[in-house]
Amino acid sequence: MFIYEKKLQYPVKIKNTNPKLASVIISQYGGPDGELGASLRYLSQRYSMPYPELKGLLTDIGTEELGHLEMIGAIVHQLTRNLTEDQIRTAGFDTYFVDRTAGVYPTAASGFPYSAASMAVKGDLIADLTEDLAAEQKARVTYDNILRLSDDPDVNDVIKFLRAREVVHFQRFGEGLRLAKDRMNEKNVYFINPSFDQ
Amino acid sequence: MEKPLDQPMDRPTERPPECPSKPPVGCGVDKGSLPGPCGSLAFPFVPMQEPNPVRYSRMEALQTGTLFPGLDLPFKAAIQSKTQMSNTALAELMALDFAVDELGLYLTTHADDKEVLQLYWTYIKLAREGREKYQKLYGPLLQTDLTPEDGYVWLKDPWPWEKGGNT
Repeated sequence: MFIYEKKLQYPVKIKNTNPKLASVIISQYGGPDGELGASLRYLSQRYSMPYPELKGLLTDIGTEELGHLEMIGAIVHQLTRNLTEDQIRTAGFDTYFVDRTAGVYPTAASGFPYSAASMAVKGDLIADLTEDLAAEQKARVTYDNILRLSDDPDVNDVIKFLRAREVVHFQRFGEGLRLAKDRMNEKNVYFINPSFDQ
Repeated sequence: MEKPLDQPMDRPTERPPECPSKPPVGCGVDKGSLPGPCGSLAFPFVPMQEPNPVRYSRMEALQTGTLFPGLDLPFKAAIQSKTQMSNTALAELMALDFAVDELGLYLTTHADDKEVLQLYWTYIKLAREGREKYQKLYGPLLQTDLTPEDGYVWLKDPWPWEKGGNT
């Protein structure tokens, strides 16, 4: 079950507001490759995993991603505190502001609301873990792109941390696949689906 | 009965070279082990991180986003001097809890690494102390970590997404 611990995994202390940057970073909150999608994907995939290492990995990484979701929410919140009307009008934030004011809403930067259609649970160990490898890469690229667009050192500090986690998660999912393979049919790894077949 | 040598069906095709034995352990900090030079076709292989890997200190690890130099692969737009972490009970606790998280993930795929398991336990004990220290100063981290004398302090500001909750 889930218990809340009243601290972030990494500190978020943003000195300057920047609604334009917030409207881009929101993609890691509710966008196709963002932390909400990541946590939901991993926490959902774990039910059909047959091996304890994979149940553990998906539970732990899925939980960590919820913590990252919280950090992105904190970044967007701090970037949009006490905005002046002028900031709202000129920063390209007005289309978000009109519907959400300075609330934090799960949407992509494009305005497309969060959709589970951007993730998959295939119920097959190899397909699901391979999807997870791709998901971590896509998240890593999104963070790369945020770093290209941002010149705020307080923001970049947190983004670098989050990006580094994606690289580590990629490695662990890859290792999970290796461990699974060692237990599967040596001659033909696709002979059965261990997530379903007895 | 011995078969004549020139019967094509019995003559074996040239034998493929045997896959040599696994390369020696010790691939280097930024490399991992593969299943020898030969692996099954049509399957994605990520090298396994080798046992008892080189590690950063816990504060360096928090600043970098990983405990392992081998997995420290930054983006060009982000290579700059690391922000100094503040010297507070919160930063200390974050660093300890981060080390625990990171080692936990490593142990999930390296359950036989006894040295790292010992290190994990050491960090867990240190994190417990760090938690006690933090809570004495700032109040409960879990809803259940309070005593009734001071009221229902779980609600006390600041909350973690506020700037003041991160000093």
